[in-house]
Order: sequence, then structure tokens, then C-alpha cells
Amino acid sequence: MDAPVQTDPAEQFGAVAARRLGLGFWIAASWIILIVAVAALAPWLPIADPNETGVGGRMDGPGWSNWFGTDSNGRDMFARTIWGARVSLIVGFFSVLLGMCVGGTLGMIAGYFRGIVDRVISFSVFVLLAYPGLVLALLIVGLAGQTLPIVAMTLGILAIAPIARLSRATTLAYSEREFVAAARVLGATDRRIMIRELLPNVLIPMGALTLLGMAITIVAEGGLAFLGLSVEEGFSWGKMIVLGSAPRTLREGPWVAMFPIGAMFLTVLALNFAGDRLREYFDVRELGIGAG
Amino acid sequence: MLVVLARRLAQLVAVVLAVTFLAFTAMNTLGDPLFNVVGFVASVDCDAVLAGEIEDVSGQGGTATGDCQVVAEAREEFHLDEPIPIRYGRWVGDVFTGDLGTSFKNRMPVSTVLADRLPKSLLLMGMAEVFAVAVSIPWAVAAAYRANRAMDRASTVGAFGMLALPNFALGVILFYFFVVRWQVFPSRFEDDNLAVRLKSLVLPALTLGMPLAATYFRLLRTDLITTLQEDFVVMAKAKGLSNRWIMFRHALRPSLFSLVTVFGLNTAALIGGALIVEQIFSIPGLGRALVEASIRDDYPVVLGATVVIATGFVAINFVVDLAYSYLDPRVRRES
Repeated sequence: MDAPVQTDPAEQFGAVAARRLGLGFWIAASWIILIVAVAALAPWLPIADPNETGVGGRMDGPGWSNWFGTDSNGRDMFARTIWGARVSLIVGFFSVLLGMCVGGTLGMIAGYFRGIVDRVISFSVFVLLAYPGLVLALLIVGLAGQTLPIVAMTLGILAIAPIARLSRATTLAYSEREFVAAARVLGATDRRIMIRELLPNVLIPMGALTLLGMAITIVAEGGLAFLGLSVEEGFSWGKMIVLGSAPRTLREGPWVAMFPIGAMFLTVLALNFAGDRLREYFDVRELGIGAG
Repeated sequence: MLVVLARRLAQLVAVVLAVTFLAFTAMNTLGDPLFNVVGFVASVDCDAVLAGEIEDVSGQGGTATGDCQVVAEAREEFHLDEPIPIRYGRWVGDVFTGDLGTSFKNRMPVSTVLADRLPKSLLLMGMAEVFAVAVSIPWAVAAAYRANRAMDRASTVGAFGMLALPNFALGVILFYFFVVRWQVFPSRFEDDNLAVRLKSLVLPALTLGMPLAATYFRLLRTDLITTLQEDFVVMAKAKGLSNRWIMFRHALRPSLFSLVTVFGLNTAALIGGALIVEQIFSIPGLGRALVEASIRDDYPVVLGATVVIATGFVAINFVVDLAYSYLDPRVRRES
């Protein structure tokens, strides 16, 4: 019981591994690329029509003819899982994009100009954070309609506040640095300083956040599905999990829910892992004395 | 100190006001709250009918003047004929006197609805947090104690995997094994007595608590490892104190900062944020009340629940701030 307490200074900063992405990252990246590729190519892949009933029997277990089994309408779950990726990924990508554009800009403005601008933006961000996220989503989607653009936009709005927070914090840290002061002394305008000096530095941590954000929004879309607010036409992984998780379906064919769960889990895992590694890779501050 | 406290409190009130105003405006501009009170006629241009500009077509299944009178009465009853800021002001005034309004759906007082739903949500939240803290603190201490050894590495991987499993997916998996296959737990919420209630909340609490435990574990482990590098730990070792004593009496407390922050945020989020889990396990909690009310445009209930949730959020943030000063004497002295 008297093992020495860990005292390796390099471990403290995560420095040793920081400059290499590592095998895990490439495995995660391959999975993401694979999922994106099959989702994009779904119409041309030699798979069953996801909406055609009677491809197999009703509630056939996983097997050679239907790899992931069939649902209660005899639809092929393998094809459905691939098609479900389309909606999930589109929602994930565009909502994060929206959050980045709006939240990132707001955060930079707040962090750069400070003062009253910062006060107003920070207060709004806090209000958005205090507002229960899913409730806001419920309001917007419930009232504006359950189409793909609206679902993506809603989740994008939810992403604004946390992204604005991060971008503000990063901007605050960088606008005190010498190169910003130097640019100001040289007579650069605020706009130029923000775009040419600050943006590249803020973008790096934000870029890694894109992957983590996508993971969060893909899950959030699934959450909306559980409240009956997923896309009305077509289906996402979340909607498939909801359909598969009715007690009767779970009893007769657990695979209907479990394969989309597995697909979502692996994708979220890969996005989280790749995002984490990228963040560490680019985060120069975490470089301890140990790394050369 | 008192001035600081007062300023913080004023800020909290401002946030709650802003949140509810946002909800109030959204509810009123995006939906037609009367639809569920009087039905389809609410969407008809009744001003025109009452003014005689549109013919009364009651005989042919159209809109009757009588129906429109119902609409007009309902409008007056719920003050829908006034501009939004005035109605909001009226609503805030009512809230301060303890009157949260009346549900559009079943005309019950909102406070009654909330009093019925909130305890269940709070119980669920409490169980989830107790589980998460009870698991994560010993787990993190054990992992940090032998950092980078097999047990620590396995835990880190396990926690990472846990966090990648969406909450509802975990819920469905637990539901499948414990309810559908092994039938250990009831499939829906049962409310006969406390024991039954606790039993039917075990799975939902696990669903919420397991990812929380993983989150807390990760935070505390990292902070503990950092703290263990500090000079005062070396000093304590030099004095010959046992590792166990150093761990619990010296290292743990200053390592609790991030944990306390995130604990606060999560607790706040859980008050009304257990919507999905409540949905999966059919628990009539605050989250479900909110979902149902939002779908029906029953905005007095939505607003009432939003007040509770937002107040909980800011109040817990406030308490977290205070907790800092307990955990770190330096903060105490500065303020």
C-alpha cells in the first residue's frame, strides 16, 4: 500500500504524448471517414432500400442475408443504419458550423472589445446557458416544424453559448499578448487585428472543438428524437433508437435498437477521441518542459 | 462581503427575469396558446366575425359568433388581449405573490402541477448525484494513488467510453436487460410508498448517474495528480505522514475545485434536464411536465417549470461560488 505517488512531471502536462497523434487517433479518424463515406455514398451502395418492407422476414435476427437483422416491417436494419447516418451527420455538422460562426464571432467581439460590449454578450450567453437547452429546442422545433434545416438550426442555436464562452476566453488570453500590442502599435485597425492576429489563434482550439461539438449535437439530435421531435421525413440514428426501444420491439428484436446504438456509440467515441487528441496536439500551452 | 453578495443576488434575479421573459415571448409569438383551450376556432379571425365583417356561417360547419364569444372570453380570462410586455409584467407580479397562473390544459393551478412533479425530479436528481459522487471519489482517489498503473489506465479508458455512450442509449440498454429480459425492475414509475418509489427510480438514477460518475472521475483524477506534485505534499511526505493521510487530509480538498463546479452545473441541469430519462422510464417528473406542456402550448406550465429550473440553475451557481471560499481559504480572504 505504500506505492510512490506519481511524480513524473511530464505526465502532469500530458507532454510526452502531446506531439504525436498516435495510433488511436488514426483508428478513430478512419472510422469517422468510413462513416462519412458510406453515408455520402448510401444511394449507390449495394444495400437494400431502407424503406422497402419485406426485404427479410419480420423481426429476423442478424444473419447472412440481413447483417443487422430486420425490423417489425421486415426492413433491412443494415441499410437503415447507413441511411440513418446521413441525417445524424448532417445535423451534427451544420449545427456546429452555425454555432461556430455565431458563437465564435460573438465570443471574439466580447473578448476583444471588453467593457460594455462584453457585459452585454456575456450576460446573454449566461441567460442562454441558464435556459434549459432541450426546452428551448422543444419550443423551436415544436413550433417551427420538424424539418432537417430547423432541427439543425435549433441545435446550432444551442451550441452558440458554450462556443461563445470558449472563444471569449481564448480571445481574452491572446489579446494581452505582445504580437497583438505590436500590431496595434503599427497602426492596425481593430478589424485587422481580430482577423489577422487573433482569429488564427482562436481557430485552433475551436477546430478541435468542432469534432467534440459534432459528437454532442449528434447525441442531442437523438435526445430530440426521444421527445418526438426528430426529423419528420426520413430518420436519424436517434429516431431509429426510439423506434427500436418500445418495450415490445425490445423484447422481440433487441437488435433493432442495439445496432443504431452501437453505430452512434462508436461514432461519438471516435469523434471525442479524435477531438481530444487534436486539442492536445495543437494546445501549445500544455507542452511541458519535458517535450523537445 | 455583503456588498458582493448583494450584487451577486441582483445578478441572479436579472438572469431569471431574462430567461422567463425569453420563454414568455417565445411562447406567445411562436404558438397559439388558445388552440388547446377552445379548440380549432382559436385560429379563426374572430375580430372580423364579431365585427360582422365575415358572415356567421355556423350552420355550414363554419365559425359561429357563439364560438367566437368563447374565444373572446378565454382571451380575457388569460389576459391574452393585452400587449406582451404588460402581460409579462402582470405575470411577474403574480409570481411574486406566489400565483404561477392556471394551466390551459386542465385549469389546475400551475403551483399544484409543479408541487406534484418537482419532488419526483428532485428525488431522481438526488439519487443520481449520490451515486455519482459515492462512486467517483473513491474511484478517482484509487486511480490517482497509483497513476498510470494498470487500474488507472483501465479506469481512464472505461470512463472515456462511458462518456461516449449517449444517455438515452444507456437508458435503453439498462431498460432492455433489467426490465425486459430479467424483469428486476418495474417498467414504469410506481408511487405506492417510498420503497416502491425508490425502487422504480433505481434504473433512471443509474442512467443519469453513470456518465456523471465518469465525468467526476476524470476531473478529480487529473486534479489529484496535479495536487500531488505540489510542494506541500512533498513536505507532508517528508514529515513521514502516511500516504493515505496525505491523500485524504491534504490532497483531496484542494483538488475538489473542478468537481464542485461541474457538480453544481450538472445538478442544476438535472432539475429539469432529465426529460429524456423521464420519458424512457415513464416518470411523471418536472421534465415530462415541461415536454407535455410545450407540445400543448400550455405556457403557464412551461413558464412555471422554467422559473423553477432557471432559479435552480442560478441558485446552485451561487452556492458553488460560496463553496469555493470554503474549499480555498485564499478566495475567502480576497472577498
